[in-house]
Amino acid sequence: MIEAKKSYRQMNEQLAEILAWFESEQVDLDEAVAKYEQAIKLLGEMETYLKTAQNKVKKIAAKTA
Amino acid sequence: MPDLVLSPTDFVALVNQTLEFAYPNVIIEGELSDFRVSKNRWVYFSLKDDVSSVQFFGTVYQLPGPLEDGLNIRVVGMPRLHHKFGFSINIVSLSPVGEGSIKKAADLLRAKLEAEGLFAQERKRTLPTYPETIGLITAGGSAAYADFIKILDERWGGAEIQFIDVYVQGEQAAGQIVQAIEHINQLAEPPEVLVITRGGGSAEDLNAFNDERVVRAVASSRIPIVVAVGHEVDESLAELAADMRASTPSNAAQIVVPDKHHELSHLKIKRQGLMQDLIDLYEDASQGLTADREYLTSQVFRLFEIEHERLLANRRLSTLFDPSAALRRGYAIVRQGRQIVTKTGQTKAGQGLDVQLSDGKLNVKVNKVITDD
Repeated sequence: MIEAKKSYRQMNEQLAEILAWFESEQVDLDEAVAKYEQAIKLLGEMETYLKTAQNKVKKIAAKTA
Repeated sequence: MPDLVLSPTDFVALVNQTLEFAYPNVIIEGELSDFRVSKNRWVYFSLKDDVSSVQFFGTVYQLPGPLEDGLNIRVVGMPRLHHKFGFSINIVSLSPVGEGSIKKAADLLRAKLEAEGLFAQERKRTLPTYPETIGLITAGGSAAYADFIKILDERWGGAEIQFIDVYVQGEQAAGQIVQAIEHINQLAEPPEVLVITRGGGSAEDLNAFNDERVVRAVASSRIPIVVAVGHEVDESLAELAADMRASTPSNAAQIVVPDKHHELSHLKIKRQGLMQDLIDLYEDASQGLTADREYLTSQVFRLFEIEHERLLANRRLSTLFDPSAALRRGYAIVRQGRQIVTKTGQTKAGQGLDVQLSDGKLNVKVNKVITDD
């Protein structure tokens, strides 16, 4: 299954979760490595998003009364 | 048609036909007088100058806000002869004119809406940090539109802008802006934030942003609204009713989206922080291992020491039981044959005994047996 394209907000929320996990007490080292890799991947995707994403204008017409 | 005799109804119809043809719309400016509202619905007033006075008729829904006598008003209307009430002009739209009147009308409306709590701080909602959809109501092709889009593109990407092109000044402006706000609010997937903007202009140009209908539409929007009217004088009432005001269209873009360059540097800091977190974790873990190793080593040493102590103690104990040590100190072992003699009763005079000393044996004969009491 192809993963749906994530919005910047979703990616930011995922990153915030990981950062909070690192702040918590008693983190497991193996898990930390996995989380770190996940975070680095997210950061890369977020940077790409910021550098490449374009705004799109969609003109809509208001209904006339 | 001097000979033509008409009924009053025919005459009214004829005049109205003529008026419709000759003056489909008239624009009249004058001082407001005899302003009154009937049954909360019907509006009557006159516009006058030094010489003349003309009567007008309309509904409260056409008013830009509360009005009072003395204001200078411009009315777009259709002249009509009513079959009972005589001549009046049916209002199409009206607005205050001249800086003084515009300000006065805005003050009246401001006081009214303020009393209703429309501008209260607690009504203000926070805007989304990373909006994915942004509604935009402004005049297409205007500098305001171009500025907003330009700054938006410079600061952020990936958002969809749902744009409705409206007049931002003139008699149609207020109606169109209200309609656009309502339309966007009714969309199945409405944008997360709505921006209504225009560039600066004269007090008259900005009338729509002080129109009661517009202000109410802004206040009742389900979507958080940013209103940006580029001008330096007092804030328009629409701005006061908005969740957030911006000083210019560019400023509105700055308010609705974050700056991607700042965002990128924040990400860099987060990346470094994460790396440091991981390094700290490794260091903690390896310090833990060192401590474990030291503890284990010290435990093993302690066990060795205990064992060593025990061995020494045993050795000391064993020397106490060593018979040869006793023999060296002067004791002897007396045997009769293989039997060790420990009591006098075990032997008798004349019997031979072996006496073992530290360096050899003596074979002796018992002369006399003396038993202790």
